[in-house]
This record gives sequence, structure tokens and C-alpha cells, in this order.
Amino acid sequence: MVRRALKKEFYMEVRKTLNRFLSILLINALGVAFFAGVRASKPDMRLSADAFFDESRLMDLRVMGTLGMTKEDVRAIEAVEGVEAVMPVYSVDMFGQLLDRQLNLQVMSKPEEMNRIHVREGRLPEKKEECLVDYKLFTSGLCALGDEITLASGTEEETEDLVNQETFTVVGAGTTSYYMSLDRGTTGIGSGSLDGFLVVLPEVFEQDYYTQICVTARGAYELTCYTEEYDALVDELAERIEGIEKERCEIRYAQIQEEGQEKIAEAEQEVADGEQKLKDAGEELEDARGKLKDAEEKLEDGRRELADGEAEFADKEREFLDAKQEVADGWSELHKAQEKLVKATFEIQKGYESYERNKAELDAGYAQLAPAKEQLAQVEEGLAAAQGGLAQVEEGLSQIAAVRQRCEELSQREPESLTAEEAEELAVLLEQEASGQWNGAEAELKEQQAELTATKTQLSAVQAQLAPVVAENTAKLDAGAEALAEGKRQLDAGSDEVDAGNSEAYHAEQELLEAEEELADGEKKLADARAELADARKTLKDAEEELADAKEEFADGEAEYEKALAENEETLADAKVKIADAKEELADLKQPEWYVLDRQYIQTYVEYGNDADRIGAIGEVFPVIFFLVAALVSLTTMTRMVEEQRTQIGTLKALGYGKGAIASKYILYALLSSLLGSLFGLVAGQKLLPSVIISAYKILYNNLPDILTPLNPEYSLTAAAVAVSLTTLAALAACYKELNAVPANLMRPAAPKSGKRVFLENVSFLWKRLTFSQKAAIRNLVRYKKRFLMTVFGIGGCMALLLVGFGLKDSILHIGKGQFGNVFVYDGTIGIDKDAEEKERRELADKIESDARIPHHMRALEIAVDAEAGGAPRSAYLIVPENREELKTYIHLKDRETGEAYSLDDQGIILTEKLATLLGVTEGDTITLKEDDTKAIEAKVAHVTEQYFMHYIYMSKDLYESLYGETPDWNQWFMKNSRQDEDFEEELRTEYIQYDAVSDVDFISGTAERVADMLKSMDLIIYVLVIAAGLLAFVVLYNLNNININERRRELATLKVLGFFDQEVSAYVNRENILLTIIGTGVGVGLGLLLHQFVIQTAEIDMLMFGRAIAPASYLYSVLLTFAFSALVNGAMFFKLQSIDMV
Amino acid sequence: MAHFVELKQVKKIYQMGEVSIPAVDGIDFEIEKGEFVVIVGPSGAGKTTVLNILGGMDTCTSGEVWVDGRDISSFKGKALTAYRRDDIGFVFQFYNLVQNLTALENVELALQICKDPLDAEQVLKEVGLEGRKGNFPAQLSGGEQQRVAIARALAKNPKLLLCDEPTGALDYNTGKAILKLLQDTCREKGMTVIVITHNQAIAPMADRVIKIKNGLVSRMELIEEPVSVETIEW
Repeated sequence: MVRRALKKEFYMEVRKTLNRFLSILLINALGVAFFAGVRASKPDMRLSADAFFDESRLMDLRVMGTLGMTKEDVRAIEAVEGVEAVMPVYSVDMFGQLLDRQLNLQVMSKPEEMNRIHVREGRLPEKKEECLVDYKLFTSGLCALGDEITLASGTEEETEDLVNQETFTVVGAGTTSYYMSLDRGTTGIGSGSLDGFLVVLPEVFEQDYYTQICVTARGAYELTCYTEEYDALVDELAERIEGIEKERCEIRYAQIQEEGQEKIAEAEQEVADGEQKLKDAGEELEDARGKLKDAEEKLEDGRRELADGEAEFADKEREFLDAKQEVADGWSELHKAQEKLVKATFEIQKGYESYERNKAELDAGYAQLAPAKEQLAQVEEGLAAAQGGLAQVEEGLSQIAAVRQRCEELSQREPESLTAEEAEELAVLLEQEASGQWNGAEAELKEQQAELTATKTQLSAVQAQLAPVVAENTAKLDAGAEALAEGKRQLDAGSDEVDAGNSEAYHAEQELLEAEEELADGEKKLADARAELADARKTLKDAEEELADAKEEFADGEAEYEKALAENEETLADAKVKIADAKEELADLKQPEWYVLDRQYIQTYVEYGNDADRIGAIGEVFPVIFFLVAALVSLTTMTRMVEEQRTQIGTLKALGYGKGAIASKYILYALLSSLLGSLFGLVAGQKLLPSVIISAYKILYNNLPDILTPLNPEYSLTAAAVAVSLTTLAALAACYKELNAVPANLMRPAAPKSGKRVFLENVSFLWKRLTFSQKAAIRNLVRYKKRFLMTVFGIGGCMALLLVGFGLKDSILHIGKGQFGNVFVYDGTIGIDKDAEEKERRELADKIESDARIPHHMRALEIAVDAEAGGAPRSAYLIVPENREELKTYIHLKDRETGEAYSLDDQGIILTEKLATLLGVTEGDTITLKEDDTKAIEAKVAHVTEQYFMHYIYMSKDLYESLYGETPDWNQWFMKNSRQDEDFEEELRTEYIQYDAVSDVDFISGTAERVADMLKSMDLIIYVLVIAAGLLAFVVLYNLNNININERRRELATLKVLGFFDQEVSAYVNRENILLTIIGTGVGVGLGLLLHQFVIQTAEIDMLMFGRAIAPASYLYSVLLTFAFSALVNGAMFFKLQSIDMV
Repeated sequence: MAHFVELKQVKKIYQMGEVSIPAVDGIDFEIEKGEFVVIVGPSGAGKTTVLNILGGMDTCTSGEVWVDGRDISSFKGKALTAYRRDDIGFVFQFYNLVQNLTALENVELALQICKDPLDAEQVLKEVGLEGRKGNFPAQLSGGEQQRVAIARALAKNPKLLLCDEPTGALDYNTGKAILKLLQDTCREKGMTVIVITHNQAIAPMADRVIKIKNGLVSRMELIEEPVSVETIEW
């Protein structure tokens, strides 16, 4: 190309055939763009992630110990060579109560040097009662700044043993590079899956050891993660850290033993304390009982006293009443007596009057009698005087006699026996006798006696005369007087009596008055007594009440005590068991181990890496199609170009130009177009495609901040080199034949390709049926084999891409449709709160069973388990229906391909398809199910059932009971409702969530919607594919058609000459194109199916199973689009055909 | 307008930038129905251009072209195609057969679009290719190919058979045989045949000879007694 003429000619060639030049450029651009773009997606994904990880200083390693990590461990690890920084971290999974929602949260200490939190709203916590929540909780609307979150332990451990602050105010929300996606992994608490993380200050944690130590490796920052270099560096450091593990673990072991012993001692002390306390409490209670008894006794006394008092009061009252009655009677008697007295006084007055009269009469009688009487009285007096004298005389005589006797007596006695006095007396007496006094006195006296006796006899005679008369009268008078006196006496007596009565009446009155006064007093006293009694009664009642209260209190206390006793006894027993266990545990305690975990143990890190690898895998296949097509198109185009210029080549040769000079034009042409195309494709592809793909992934990995799409030199060079060399080689190959021919030969037009019979003509019955044009078309197709193949390949590629695009969407949508339309046919679930009491559960069950809006309902158990079959464990949900026959109302268990329905039996479990695939098991194999580290059972796989979303294991109730040895603790209700609309479901939700036993109400429609939303992102990829397919189809078809028309220009001109209308000429050509399109489409279906399978199987994440089938509509769309592209190109060709000159 | 074909002041001027190159510069001639016409002239005289215009493959810049009472110079696009399809049969120097179709199929190709076609096999028989009808053009000799081309043109039962140097690529004898076929066709079927040739020698076989030179009709003569082609030597 040194020669100017050739240069000019080249320049003109490009200008003249700009179409061709551009088509080579474009197809190369397309090929390179796809190749480099899709391939660069994997490193770009890694790079974007690496930038994110570096920015947040994501740890390279973390070290966890089976017995936790200590401060000394931190220092020891820090000292390991190659460690750049260490950060001890506390973290614990806990329940977080946020308004009325309970969340499973990973509570972790605020990170400092590494694993930095990217604060999206608010700020990091600065005080103990502040926290930062997962931004996910913000975006899902669960939480907002200023909300309060209360933490509670999710395990047997006490909350206060874990954290010293339970309620936190949300001051910020953020993301961490530890979680790139929305998935927060699993946890041992609650439902088994984490809802988010919570960042608090380290002081909040109560543990005395760190959960883990995060480590960054020196030099890792500079390396890109996921690369071998990075892995090697981190592995090396991990090994070095493992090198100090043994030593550190021994120290830790000793420490734990010591601590353990101390704790056991403490616990034992506590138990002892507890027992003492219990004992004290018992004694106290006993005291209380004694006191209560005393109080009761006192009360009894009081009651008795009151009764006595009441009795007394009653007596007194009765007495008072009697007295009152008496007084009343007294008054009435008194009145009667007074009346009588008045009457008696009156009668006595009368008696006295009559007495006075009778007395006067009597006195007169006595006056008459008086002289007689006087006489008689004188007589009697004389008599009496005589009598008296006589008596005196006799006495004198007797005295003399007595003295004589005395004297004798004394004289007769011995003088010595006499007393001085008696001796004196005797002396007197003897003298008197001696004087004779006594004899003279005795004689005088005898004389007087005789005188007196004479007078007496005289007087007695008078008296005898007088005495009867007087006596008679006197007797008569006396009798009268007597009667009168009697009368008077009677009167006096009556009068006295009356007086006495009066006096008595007066007294009685006086007494009555007094009694009345006394009564008043008594009444007052009674009233007082009554009041006193009432008081006493009240007091008693109060006391009774008090006692009752006290009794009740006591009963309560006692019950409490009993309960506490039972409980405490249990607790204490437990504690004792625990202590024993702890002792045993401590004895059994193994040497602790360290787990040095690199980023491969971070779920999203691995998932993201896998996704990048998947894109890489797609990148291995997809772009190759484009490249192949590009190469083929270049080849045909260049070949055609050289063929067209046959004459010119011949001329140049004839002129004497060398092969090199001649070929250089075509090579340069190819080189230039492919190089420009490659450059364009490189930039466009590597900038556009990775960002589109990563954008699509960003929906999953929503935390990924920036997409980095640098030009990748490796892919750029490879792609450009391949494209350029392929096209150039094609040009060279095309030239080669012509260049070797002699000029004369070249000057002649190339002999047209001869016609050939096609195989189909042998099948004459078929061939005969074809119209002439069809025959012609078929023969033409077979004739231009290269064109045929390339067009079929191009159209097939287009169809395949479209099919993959639509099919991908179908497959993904099928997750929702297939899952929620064919497999999960229930409408929703009501979760039962695991802490709900039996009564609450019953209440809920009654409500559901009587709810007409939920015609079908069934209880089930749903728990998270880890399924294992030799390899890595997979998280799945175990579902145990209460009634295995009823399960099909809610969940269809069936083979995906044959549609054969399965039902649960007592022999084996039913696995979902993807889980079975991941575990590598089929029917008849056995898998292990672990609920946590302690519970593991083995079960036989009976069937594998269709499933698209998450992993499930179905087990009959009987099998569960026999495997787990307990009845399932139902925690869910499956519902099938009468309606499915949103309002209805919202109403149901609002109503049921109020039940204490309800933990959540979920509807399939919501889930299905969420899944659909999530997968909407796939539209982007589908657009990319559709556009790519369109471009591919257009470029390929346009090119080939162009070539075809140019090649057959003469033939087409002939047709025109023959009088074919333009449409007929087009039809003549298009018939072939249509046939090619149809064949290409057919091939494309096959190709697309293969590609689709490949893509979905590589792109599928573990949790999902994409639908394997492509919907008929997608075939239709793909076919229609392919036809449309084909028609578009053919339409454009119409004008080209029109312009064919017949001349 | 008694003439079957009449050209009046037909001009074809190619405008190349500022330069006007007249290929045909005002040709007038007329042809009667059933005549065997030979148009002779040197290379570049414009005879092919005239034929193309007459055959509806090209349009004239000015002038009138009357064929069977219609002015085809006013025809455009579809009407022109329809004219070609119904009224004209073409035979080219290089046969212009469709390589991918057998002899019979090439004939049939023309019949696909005709209103009133002849039977393809019959026509092939008439051109003497009964035994070669299933052969592809590449399997036929030049003369045979030209016969196929003629058969294809004839099968359309056109009003005019236009032949552009039909013997140009053929050897002497074959060329003669082809000319004979054309002459016979004209005589036997009363077909109006126009043959373009640079070979002055064959002029005597025509009913009418039109000589063209530099885009103009230099001479037109009617031959009262045309001779059979066999008798002509060149």
C-alpha cells in the first residue's frame, strides 16, 4: 500500500462500500462488546465488591473460639506476623421488641477499625442506651429514628447475663459490607432466621469474653478479593494464626477451669442461700400462722365477751323492763290502796262517832257502880294490908331460923378448918345467940300474927257480902266497856291501819318515784350499754374482717410459699442438677478450639462470589455465539468482497502488482473495520454490560454502593485480537484463492455456481406438491450452503437469545407462579406464638374453626432444620401437617415432570426438588435432619416434590412422633380463604393479629407479589438480551441478504426482465429468507432451550429453583420478534432489490 | 397508429455531472406485426439501449414508444413491469438462465407470471430440447442454453420477442441454428421478432433492417424477399 494509486483506491473502496465496512465494524463491535463486556462482568463484580470491602475495611479473617476469646488472645493475635489490625467484637443473637413486632437481631458491638458501618441515616450510637439498626429495617418500614427497641434473650440465658441495657433508642441506620444482600443468615433463636443487626456500644455486653476477633491481613487491602492472590495471602495468615492456637487454647482452658470452679462454688453458695431463704420463709410463715391463731383466739374471746355482754345486756334490759313493769304495777296498786285508804278513813270516822256515843253510856253505868266499888276496894285494901303484914312476919321468922342454922353449922366444924372470916362470923353469931335476941323477936312476931289473922277474917266477911254485887255489875259494865274498848281498839287499829296505809302509800309513792328515777337511770345506762355493745360488735366485726384479711393474706402467703417452695425446690433441684452438670461439663470440658474463618465463611461474600462466577460461566458461552457469528459474517463479507473484485484483482495482477500489494487492500479493509469495531465494542461493552448486569445483581446485593467498570486489558486485548485476527484471516483466506489464479482467468466472470438437484426431489410425492416457487427456493437454499448455515445460525442465535431472555423471565416468574399457583395453593398462614398458653391457643382455634371466611384450615408444625447427606448442610423448613390427607388442600406434592401426586406416609419424608439436587439424594436415600446441634434424626427420602422457592421437607405426624419421640408442637395454621383480594386479607390480618396466640399472619399473595417485585429486575437483562438478539439478527441478516442479492444480481435482473413485479422479486428472495428464518427459528428453539437450561442452572441461586420450562407465550414472542427482525431486514432489502438494474 | 411498433424521437441521455451523454439521440422507426427485424450497428451505437427501452427495461429520456397502440414511454414502475411480463420476450447474449433451475424450470419460471402461457414442455420440444428438459443450465451447451432462453421467452407468448446479440456467445453453427429457430418462430407463429446484432451479414434474413449509428437510425430498409438463414454465410 505504498503506492498512491492503491491508497486512493482503498480510500474510495471504503467510501463506496461504507455499508459493508460498517457492517463488519458493527458485527465486530457486537462480538467484542459481548465478549469483553460479559467476561468483564465477573472481574468487575469482584472489583466493585472489593472496593466496597476495602472502603469499609471488611475483616479478612475472624477468629472464634469454642470458649470465646480473651483480651490476651487479642494481644497474641495482634502479635502474629502479617496481622495488620485486630478488633475484638461482642455479638449475640437476641430478640428485639420493636413496637408490637418481635425481631431476631444480631446485636453486636460497635466496630471501630474494621467492618465499618456505613451510616445511611442518623449516626452511630454514642451512649449506652443508643443503638444503630440495620438499614434493612428502615427500608422495610419496620423501624424509624427515635424508635425504641427492647432486647430479650432468645435462649435459656437470662437477658441480664447478656446485656446490661435492655432498651435502646434508635439513633441511626446503616449497612455493613458483611451483609451485602437482604439475607441476614440464620440464628439459633426464634424462627431461625435473622431479621437484621443492631449496633450498640461494647459496654452494653455482659460477657467476660469476646465472641470473635476480627483480623485484617497486611497487604490484603491492595489485593482484590476473590482472587487467588488474595486467598493465598489470607490462607497463609490463617495458618500462622492457627499456629498459636494450641498455646492460647491451653491457657484459655486452664482459665475456664478455674473460672468454672469458682462459678460452681458460687452457684453452690447460691443454692445454699436459696435453701436458707426458703427455710426462713417457712419459719416466717409458721410465725404468721401462730400469730393468726392467737388473733383468732382473741377474736373468739372477744366474741364470747360480746356474747356475754349481750346476754347481760339482755338480762338488764329484761330487769329494766320488769322493773318498769313493777313500777307501773306499783303505781296502779298504790292508786288502788289510796282509794281504799280514803274509804277506810271515812268508815273509821263513822266508827269513832258511834264509839263516843257508846262510851258515854258506859261511863254513866260506871258512875253508878262506883260507891259499891269503893267500899269493896277499902275492904280489899285492908285485906291486902293484913296479908302484907302476915307475909312480913313469916319472913322475919324464916330469917331467924336461917341464922340459927348457920351458927350451928359453923360451930360443928373443926375450928382449924375455919377461915378467919368464918371464925369471926361464928363469933358474932355465938354472941347473938348468947344474948337471946332471937327468942324475943320470935315471940313479938307471933303476937302480931294472931292480930292480923283476926282482922282478916272480919274483912273477908264484908267482902263476901259485897263482892258478888259489885262483881256482877262490874262484870256487866266491864263486858260493855270491854266491847266498847274492843270497838275502840278496832277503830284505833283501823285508824292506825289507815295511818299506816297512808304512810305506806306515801312511802310507796316515794319509792315509786325513786324507782322511776332509777329506771331512767337504768334506761340511760342501758342505752349506754347498747352503744357500748354496738361498739364492741363493730370492733369485733372489724377484728373479724381483719382476721379474714389476715387469713386470706396468710393463705396467699402460704400458697405463694407453697408455690415458691415447689418452684424453688424445682429451681434448686435444677440448680443442683445444673451444678452437677456444670461440674461434669467442666470435667468433660474439652480443650477449646479456635476457628479461623476467612471471608469464605461470610454468606453474602460467598454468594456474591458465586454469582460473579455464574456470570463468568455465562460469559464463557454467550459471547462465543456472538463471536462466532461475527467471524462468520466477516468471512462471508470479505469473501464476497474479494469475489466481487475478481476482475480488479485480475487487472492489477495483469498490470504486474504483487500478491502482497493486492491482498493488502482487503487485509487492511478487514483490519481497519474490525479494529475500529473492536475498539468501539470494547469500550461500549465493558462499560455498559457489566453495569447492566451488576445493576441487576444490585437488586439482590442492595448494599453494594458503586459499580466499577474499568477497561480490562486482558479481555480487551483478547477480544480485539481475536476479532481483528479472525476478520483479517477471513480476508486473507478470501484473497488467497483469487490471488493464486492467473489474471486471464480472473478477467473472465466467475462461472456461476451450477444448479444441483436436492435430496428432496427424490421424494417425488412431496416435491410434486411444492409450487414452482417453493421448489426454486428450496433449491436455492441448498445451493448457497454457506449462506444457509450462516443465516440459520444468525437467526437461530437471535431466536435463542430471545428465547433465553423470555425463558429466563418465565423461569423466574415460575418461581412465583409455579410456587404459589401450583405448589403452595393455600392462601395464607397464621403463626402461633410459641409462648401462647393453651387457653389462648384454644381461643384462636375456636375462632378459626368458626370463621366462615376460612373454610379450610389445618394446623401444622413448621421449623427450620439443617438437612445433611454427607456434604454441606442445607437450611430447610420441616413441615409436619396435622392431617396428612388434608395437606393436599394446601400444598401439592407432586413430581414436576410426570405430575404424579405424592402423599405423606409413615415411612419416609418428601423433599423438595432443589434440596434433593443440592444434597445429591434421590428417592430411597437417607438424610440427616438437625434442628440444632443436639437433635439429629435420620429419615428416608420417600419422594422428591416440585418446589421453586426455598427448601422444604414434609413429614407425616406419625413419622415425626416416631422419629422425635414427641408430638409436634403446632405452630402454624394453614388457611384457604373464601376470598383472596387485598382488602379482605388486610381485614383478616388486622383481626387475627390481635389474638395473643397469633405471632403473625401471612398471605401468599403478599409473598408472591414480593417475589414478583424482586424478579422485575430481570426485565433489564431481558431487554439487554432482546436488544442484543435484535442487533445480531439485523447485522447477520442484513449482511447476508446484501451478499445474497449482490451475488444473485444477475438472476434477479433476469427475473425483472421477465416481468416479475418488484413484490414478486422480493417474494422470490424472501421466500428463501422466510424459509431460512423458519429453519433458523427451529434451530434457535433447540439452541435456546439448551442455552436456557445452561443459563438458569448456572444463574440459579441455591435457595431457588427456577422453572425449567419456557412458556408457550415466550416461544410465540421470540418467534414473532425473530420474524419481525427478519421482516425488517427483508423490508430494507426491498429497496435494494428495487434498485437492481436490469440493464 | 397503424404500426405495431413505432418509436418517435426517442432519446436517452445520461447525465454525468455537467456532461450529457446521449446514448440514443432521437430514434424514429416503425415495425409491423409479424416482422422479423434485425437492428444492426456498431458497438456503442445505442442499439441495446433502444432494445432496452422498447422492452421496458429502461425508460427513454424523451420521445414516444408505441407498442400495439400503447405509448409505453409513459409507463412507470408497475405498468412497465406488467408490459414486460405480458408483451415482451427477451433473449440475451449470455442466456441469463437461472442456474439453479433446470431447463424446464427456467421456462416455467416465466410461465409463473403469465396470463396466457404456452405449455413449457411443448415449447421446449419446439426448440428441440425435449430430451434435455431436466438438465441444469451448467449441464447444457451454449446453444442449448440459448434455446432454453428462447423457449422461456416464447413460452410467455409475448407480442414482441427481443433478442440482444443472441448468437454473440455462440459458435458459428450454433448461432446459425439459433437464428434459424428465431426465424422459424417468426414465420410459423407470426411472432414479431427483433434481433440486435453487430453482424451485418445476417441482415438479409430479416423482413426489416434498421441500421443504427451514433444513436440515430442511419437507414431502415424493408426486404421484400428475405432469405433463409441457412443460405447466409459469414
